[in-house]
Amino acid sequence: MTMNADAKRETSSKAARFARRKRFNQIAIALSMIAMFSGIFWLAWILWETVSIGISGLSMAMLTESTPPAGDAIGEGGLANAMMGSFLMVALATFVGAPIGILTGIYLAEYDPRGKLSFTVRFINDLLLSAPSIIIGLFVYAVIVLRFKEFSGWAGAAALALIVIPIVIRTTENMLALVPAGLREAAYALGSPKWKVITRITLVAARAGVLTGILLAVARISGETAPLLFTALNNQFWKASLSGPLANLPVTILQFAMSPYENWQQLAWSGVFLITLAVLGLNILARMLSREKL
Amino acid sequence: MNVNTPEFSTALSAPIKIAVRDLNFYYGKFRALNAISLDIPEHCVTAFIGPSGCGKSTLLRTFNRMFELYPEQRAEGSILLDGENLLTSKQDVALIRARIGMVFQKPTPFPMSIFDNIAFGVKLFENLSRIEMEERVEWALRKAALWDEVKDKLSQSGASLSGGQQQRLCIARGIAIKPELLLLDEPCSALDPISTARIEELIAELKKDYTVIIVTHNMQQAARVSDYTAYMYLGELIEFGETEQMFLKPTRRETEDYITGRFG
Repeated sequence: MTMNADAKRETSSKAARFARRKRFNQIAIALSMIAMFSGIFWLAWILWETVSIGISGLSMAMLTESTPPAGDAIGEGGLANAMMGSFLMVALATFVGAPIGILTGIYLAEYDPRGKLSFTVRFINDLLLSAPSIIIGLFVYAVIVLRFKEFSGWAGAAALALIVIPIVIRTTENMLALVPAGLREAAYALGSPKWKVITRITLVAARAGVLTGILLAVARISGETAPLLFTALNNQFWKASLSGPLANLPVTILQFAMSPYENWQQLAWSGVFLITLAVLGLNILARMLSREKL
Repeated sequence: MNVNTPEFSTALSAPIKIAVRDLNFYYGKFRALNAISLDIPEHCVTAFIGPSGCGKSTLLRTFNRMFELYPEQRAEGSILLDGENLLTSKQDVALIRARIGMVFQKPTPFPMSIFDNIAFGVKLFENLSRIEMEERVEWALRKAALWDEVKDKLSQSGASLSGGQQQRLCIARGIAIKPELLLLDEPCSALDPISTARIEELIAELKKDYTVIIVTHNMQQAARVSDYTAYMYLGELIEFGETEQMFLKPTRRETEDYITGRFG
């Protein structure tokens, strides 16, 4: 009898513990859901505002014409010059910044992962990664704009490249470090020279991650305003060259959104919509690439 | 070298491929191998057995100087491959490694097609025509008993194969460079029994052309596939001899305890 009572008591205490654990689990789930929805709520609101106001300004003129004078009728003029300027600077910054970032990442991950130089580079890179972009803008202003006594697309691209480099260094190093040591050893075991192990094996194995890093860097710089304020400035005319002040989407949005003119304000919203769309597209592309396996 | 010490209870009949003499190995300050001396006979399968951490993989990895990838690891003593000391050799380490194939515990297919996985190593040291290369790839895949399963999908990624197939791909890659020595570091530990059996058959086949050294945790496997067995414990070589004798009548008490499962 006593055995039976003991067993019963034990069962009931087990059930009580289980019930408590279950309650605790429900509370944890509820808290996580609240956190998730409060995040999504703001994001959805931002997207909704952007799309609903921005989309009404979408027209052929917006894509093909340059920025109009203040006070024109709504629907006159467009953002073609700003899109072109942004495209030129982002492209140049990526073509210059990404290779430097990848090569540095390779050095850090493959050549000297635990060396003093690597430690220093990594430390400085982390600083650069978290430096406010306005500081980078001011730096390029002091070094390039003041020296050549001219705002220019070149200076803008330089500032953007300085933002790309640390992002790409970090992602490249991290992705290469994730490549299993066994893969590297297997390549060396065949008698492969180091550069071949890197270019044919580890970099290929990490390529989805490295590409994702570049795409995220592009997404980041396509919306940067501060580094362009002091470097590329802005321009209201169509131009497909990097010399002299160059129109670009972020600074145009800043200038137009702050203005009292309705046609400019509408264009600012359209610009915001375009950038959001581009960043969204890049992020989706990055996701697809990082899911792809070799 | 006195071959009558207990470690050398068997006078080797086959010619010697690798002669290890007084080999010490360090991970930083930790000494992982302690004065190892043994002779690995040519065209035989030699198994290294022993409990985890005994140094058997460490010893295997000294034969192609794999440890040099890690600056804190170092080896002292001598490893004579056909009489030439690998540790002090002036030859480029890549040329030494080209004579030695290695297969690892986990399958390591390269991120490229099945064909290129095999061709990668061959291209490093040989300049073959397209047709010669195709022949070599087929030859290696046949040797590794994988040809029939992959002959129609040579351009697919190596990672698309199953674990057992990937491991045989790695073996094919190792023998495609026509090495003299094949190092197998627990090649079956991640595989199911059927894949394991196929690889064991393959090992028996391979010893006709190569000298094979296999590290294994599985004593039945060592008994099945090897001609010679070395039992190691805590960085020491406890006993080395013909596999049959080691398993039936070991001379050392420690070996017997380990083999019969009383220890380890």
